[in-house]
Amino acid sequence: MENYSTILALLNLFLPLLSFVILIFFGKKIGNSAHWVALTLIGSSLGIAVSFFANVFVDTGGPILETSVPWFSTGSFSVNLGFLINNEAAIMLLVVALISFLVHFYSVAYMKGDPRYSRYFAYLGIFTFSMNGIVLADNLLMMYIFWELVGLSSYLLIGFWFEKESAADACKKAFLTNRVGDIGMFIGIMILFLSIGTFQINGLIDGVHNGAFAGNMGLLTIAGILVFMGAVGKSAQFPLHIWLPDAMEGPTPVSALIHAATMVAAGVYMLVRIFPILTPGALEFIAVVGGITAIMAAIIAITQNDIKRVLAYSTVSQLGYMIMALGVGAYQAGFFHLTTHAMFKACLFLCSGSVIHAMHHALHELKDHDTDPQDMRNMGGLRDKMPITFWTMLIATLAISGVPFFSGFLSKDAILAGTLSYYHLHHGWTLFLPIAGFGAAVITAFYMFRLIFLTFFGKPANDKVYAHIHESPIQMTFPLILLAGLSFALFFTLPLSVNPIDNHGWFTEAVPMIENAAGLDMHVVEEGIHHAHYTAMGISLMVAAIGIFLAVLFYLLRKVDAAKVAGMANKLKLYNLSFNKFYIDEIYNIIIYKPFLALSWLCSKLDWDIYDQKFIDGWGWLTIKLSDKSGEVDYNWLDQKVVDGFGKITQYFGKTLQSTQNGVVQNYLLGGMLGVLLLIILIQQF
Amino acid sequence: MSNLSSLSFYIPELIIIIAILLVIVLDVIPVCKKYTFPLSLGAILLASVFLWQSYGESHGLFMGMISIDPFSHFFKMIFLLSTFSIILISRYEKQLDSNYSAEYNALLLIVLLGMFLMSSSINLIMIYLSIELVSIPSYILAGMLKNDKESNEASLKYVIFGSFASGLMLFGLSILYGITGSTDIGVVTAALQAIEYPLSIYFPLILILVGFGYKISMVPFHFWTPDVYEGAPTPITAFLSVAPKAAGFAILIRVFYTMFTLEGSVSATLPLTNINWPTLIAVASAVTMTLGNLLAVQQEDVKRLLAYSTISHVGFMLMAFAIISPDAVRAIMLYLFIYLFMNLSAFYMAIFASNKLNAHHINDWDGLSRKNPVLCAFMALTLISLTGLPPTAGFVGKFYIFAELFKHQQFYWLAVVAILNSVVSLYYYFKIIKSMYLVDVEGEVNKIEAHPVVNWSIILFSAQNILFFIYWEPLIGFIEKSINLWSG
Repeated sequence: MENYSTILALLNLFLPLLSFVILIFFGKKIGNSAHWVALTLIGSSLGIAVSFFANVFVDTGGPILETSVPWFSTGSFSVNLGFLINNEAAIMLLVVALISFLVHFYSVAYMKGDPRYSRYFAYLGIFTFSMNGIVLADNLLMMYIFWELVGLSSYLLIGFWFEKESAADACKKAFLTNRVGDIGMFIGIMILFLSIGTFQINGLIDGVHNGAFAGNMGLLTIAGILVFMGAVGKSAQFPLHIWLPDAMEGPTPVSALIHAATMVAAGVYMLVRIFPILTPGALEFIAVVGGITAIMAAIIAITQNDIKRVLAYSTVSQLGYMIMALGVGAYQAGFFHLTTHAMFKACLFLCSGSVIHAMHHALHELKDHDTDPQDMRNMGGLRDKMPITFWTMLIATLAISGVPFFSGFLSKDAILAGTLSYYHLHHGWTLFLPIAGFGAAVITAFYMFRLIFLTFFGKPANDKVYAHIHESPIQMTFPLILLAGLSFALFFTLPLSVNPIDNHGWFTEAVPMIENAAGLDMHVVEEGIHHAHYTAMGISLMVAAIGIFLAVLFYLLRKVDAAKVAGMANKLKLYNLSFNKFYIDEIYNIIIYKPFLALSWLCSKLDWDIYDQKFIDGWGWLTIKLSDKSGEVDYNWLDQKVVDGFGKITQYFGKTLQSTQNGVVQNYLLGGMLGVLLLIILIQQF
Repeated sequence: MSNLSSLSFYIPELIIIIAILLVIVLDVIPVCKKYTFPLSLGAILLASVFLWQSYGESHGLFMGMISIDPFSHFFKMIFLLSTFSIILISRYEKQLDSNYSAEYNALLLIVLLGMFLMSSSINLIMIYLSIELVSIPSYILAGMLKNDKESNEASLKYVIFGSFASGLMLFGLSILYGITGSTDIGVVTAALQAIEYPLSIYFPLILILVGFGYKISMVPFHFWTPDVYEGAPTPITAFLSVAPKAAGFAILIRVFYTMFTLEGSVSATLPLTNINWPTLIAVASAVTMTLGNLLAVQQEDVKRLLAYSTISHVGFMLMAFAIISPDAVRAIMLYLFIYLFMNLSAFYMAIFASNKLNAHHINDWDGLSRKNPVLCAFMALTLISLTGLPPTAGFVGKFYIFAELFKHQQFYWLAVVAILNSVVSLYYYFKIIKSMYLVDVEGEVNKIEAHPVVNWSIILFSAQNILFFIYWEPLIGFIEKSINLWSG
């Protein structure tokens, strides 16, 4: 049974890689049927993920699969490679495989006619492989390897249309920003390894439990924060969130797969895995970072006009929620939100892709290359033309806004309860966390409905374009319908409850509260969340209603002129602050890039003007003079006599040795005999 | 164990014997002639299955003539793999006359049987017989190209030098028997430990070393190597450079390791340890690798170059044998296993080049990477591995050998010599890479495809270079299990 599961896990991991290998090497031959290869292999991988997922419902009291083999060992130091599939991993595996499969399916129509069609599917394959690796890894080193591979495949996919300068820049930005976080993560992993002596996650948890850091909890806090740095980069948390909105330069299905549902969730997943070794101090830091991210990204999202950018900031904000949930100890809620968010956010991205696809084709038919197909101000009234896209997007929007009966309500509600209970326990400044949570909830509902109203309601911005809009083909709408279906709350509470406001279901059964080995009393946390549940639900219902109501007022009924309000807000520079994303890119520009460029300019100046021009060239001048003199001596004496002499000696030896191999067998025998004598003499001498 | 009960542990050898007889018989029946090829391969596969199943057993068979133990099983796997691959590849070698293919296969199977016996002999007589059983068919195989003068000459030289070496070895064995009164190496070892005048055994030991040294082409008993390797058909050269060498190492390790150690460690109480054996081997290894390299540097013919370079690889492996410890034996076995793959894939590439392009000289390889980029990429990988650079298995092999040297802190000078030699080998191996990649050819370049069997043999064998670099742990684990010699 164990072996059988191991083989399945290996297949699940390597089938997507196989897809990559086949398509990268034989892509040109396969050409436009590349998607068959990719769909078959990813589909099989999905099948295996489902079979692991089925085990979630069977309570065996232990992980579904735990296995490892030694990778290399020198002396007492050894590194293992292995899989650890517990319930969380099985759920994550299914999320990755499902979204990946749907995105593959969707891309068949979306990427049709692209000159690098097969390469696109190859990259999706290596991405899925890397992501599965992160999910399956039973140790932090292996996770780190796949973590970097995910970074690489994300780099390839964001820069897929690298002819566009913005795409080429965006992929570099994403990669470099992630590196900043990854370095911190690596240092953190090394601290853990040096203190406990293993990379295994379970080993680390046991080590912390057995007091490897006793009396030195500060170091564990630092290690936890450093490892969290990796998540800050990958899950786009403040202050490294800047890459995610730019990453929207990639194809839209890629945004749905990588920048909404899976890769950015990897940071959250990693924290879920190592949650038991995070100290209360580290968790506090994590909660604050999550809270800042959630509220800030939400504020930025209000004023963006690019449909994908709104969704990108929305993703950053939702990831902030998940991180904040982990920070306040609502481990279960954070992971729950990861799962539900993966479904509705992938749906939202794919819907936006569908809209962009339609806009793009309409503009293409009109030979209009100046209008931006992603700008919501150019849309409007698309509801009638694209009914499936509209309805599915509406469902996903209701889910993300936290309306009852939809999945987002349950998970967001649990997170908000977590923040409230954290405040009840700690008081003081921690009031910031529930404020950030509820504030972001209002804003989320507002900007998501703003997006819906601007895109699908009202009058078309351009009648000519409107006339050419068509609903997307079935390959694109099928994933939308499926994902919209999975955005209903029902799927996460069955079979235990059909009550739309009760989040108790298979999910809460599968992901029970776990013990924290680093000093956080999880019973207190759980108790607090339980108490805060109804309060949180009441407030969250109210804030969702306010957000939606405001959006209706502003953008559907147009009772209030949005531009006027923006102008009023801008008296305090608030509008510009949001529109320019809190000037974070500009701040980085001033405090990091500019000084860095100045430093490199200075170095190059020193190097060229002083070192190169004066020192090196001075030497050059001196050398030329000297060499003129020495040249004569050199040629006449050194070259002719010494160097050629060496050459001759080498040749002589070569020839001499060659002559031992002259083909005369008598000489060979003589040589052998002499050798025997020599050996006998040698052995007597020693 | 008595003769009859031994038979049940002797199934792989019996399968090979039956296959040899069947191949010879089928060869005379015109209708059946074409079945000799699949029969040979099938027999090897069947033998492998039985061998694999009996892995881990340890017995002395045929009244203490031979033993089966994990150690011999490890080597037998190397023999089976290389013989299988050589028989397979020879079918697609143009040089060989297909009329004689049955004869050729039968001879290879006989060598295989001989090597099986070599790796498991524990009796002085059996040692001698098994070496002869490997040598005599090898002489014929070297002269397989009946109409080629060089091949005939190689065969004759091989016979003369081979008889010379076995003569000396037989002399040594008989003196040893005279001193100790037994042909069983267990008893011989015990007797040697109680010997009063250790000086008297120097002479027989050196003479036995001559016999083994000739098999692994250790300097100064290497003289036959270049001539035979050059004259023999290329698949045979590839075969001789791998399998009988592995067999030579197997018997070298078995005999001397048993004689010089007590329960796996060199004990100071043995009279034999008064002999400075390690220094002797260290000097021999330094000379072997240096000479092999210096001669290889001079070569412009790819096959000759590879042939000389095998001598230097032997020097490398001997280096670890200067330290007699289980870890050193492990390093040798690891190196042999990796060497099998890299050397065979390099020779197969030479076969491909000479078959399709008639390319022998290095200059004939110019711009080959444009004619067959895939194979050239794998060839480059193999050459990097032969040099011993990361990220290849050759690096892992060399690493373990150097690690042993440094661990014993005895032969730092040898390590320096070996590192310098690696640099030299870098020069001539990269000559081939340079010619494949950096030299441009004028005009139109046609793609040249290898026969699928050749193609995939090269790719699979050379892919091991990456595989065992990334993940060699199971291999090391398997070898460690295999260092388990049957004793009494």
